[in-house]
Amino acid sequence: MARPMNRKIVKQLREGDPVGCRHLVDAYQRRLLNEATTVFRLRLEDAEEIVSDVLLTVIDKIDTFEFQKGDADFHFWIMAIFRNRLRDFVRQQTIRGKLFVTMGGDALDNTGFETGSDEMLESIIHDYEAEVRRGDSEGGRDQSRSKSDSLQMIADTLDSMETWERVLLRCRALEVPYAEIARYTGKPVDHLKVYHARVKKKFIKLLFERYPEMQIQ
Amino acid sequence: MKRDLIDSLIQLAYLEGKITTHGLYEQVGGERDLFITVDSSRRQQLIERLEEAVRNRTASRQDHTLTIGMFLRKKRKEQAILPRDISSRIGLSPNTYRMLEHDRISPLKISTDSWLRLKHLFHLSTDSLVQLIRRTHQVVWFRPSFSETLARYDARKTARQKPEEMRNAAEELYARAHLKVPPDELRKLESLIATIQDSES
Repeated sequence: MARPMNRKIVKQLREGDPVGCRHLVDAYQRRLLNEATTVFRLRLEDAEEIVSDVLLTVIDKIDTFEFQKGDADFHFWIMAIFRNRLRDFVRQQTIRGKLFVTMGGDALDNTGFETGSDEMLESIIHDYEAEVRRGDSEGGRDQSRSKSDSLQMIADTLDSMETWERVLLRCRALEVPYAEIARYTGKPVDHLKVYHARVKKKFIKLLFERYPEMQIQ
Repeated sequence: MKRDLIDSLIQLAYLEGKITTHGLYEQVGGERDLFITVDSSRRQQLIERLEEAVRNRTASRQDHTLTIGMFLRKKRKEQAILPRDISSRIGLSPNTYRMLEHDRISPLKISTDSWLRLKHLFHLSTDSLVQLIRRTHQVVWFRPSFSETLARYDARKTARQKPEEMRNAAEELYARAHLKVPPDELRKLESLIATIQDSES
């Protein structure tokens, strides 16, 4: 059976039609669980709770949503809610001292690039942890604005790279297929695959150059 | 896909809103092959939770538009009680109660004591009572101008003109509904509400 258009689902939810709930779950439960477990490496139990929260938020805020450009607006809105919920989860895990486990723990590969690069990256993670804990202890209920200077270093270093390099690193970290990145950047898929590792190496080199104080002696 | 610390940090930066993927990730998030299965009981549990949320949302939205009169009529019907059963318990004369039930009397003309008795009688929260009072005040305040508007449109009785006239009437009513209550009147309303809230604290 064809999936109902998003406009129809939104109309049903706004009118309080319970069929809208079924359509929403059929459209998004598996999809969001898939993202949470395969891309963000969450445990299934945590992913299920997050997905449930996301869809409840969709219902709670449905009156604030508006279609602007097209039917896909609804999907992008849900993905934004999903991202915010994941962010909140990661911050909670950070406060509990479980960030490293949440990020994949020992399953993470070493970058294997310049000497000291992994230590530097780990130190950025520790800085992020400290920032989140500081934010929590200052009682900041408005957690929507991140004060993360450590992650700003990552963002600034990416911004100093060429557009295709920046897009490649950002998108591959989120497991966007090479074909999609190729379509966006205009670079061939094979080129992107071959250069991915080199672009990462360049990223580390730029990070060292921009932030020499971060190098572990 | 193998992941290293760079990927993890970029993911964190994305979640914290420091970087974007120009919509590429969000787009793909809707179109990827799905490796996960969901058992039917989990699916059903989630549907039930969402349906309950939709029901609660609908109920609270309806309550938000209720006036005191609508609320009292609804309760009397649900509980099969007579007007005098309520009026005597909240300290209102039968005539005043009748006007209250038809939203024909300003909430400012009802004493705080009667409001509190009504609140306890129907186990209302202070917030719910305040919402009912505000909504009723608005309706009663603007009723004379609504009546005048409706009377003007109703006078045009030809079948051809009626639908368009009623549409025009509705537009004028919506425009009037956005008119603000004068400051003096608003002060009196806020004073009544503050007295009710202070009595309960």
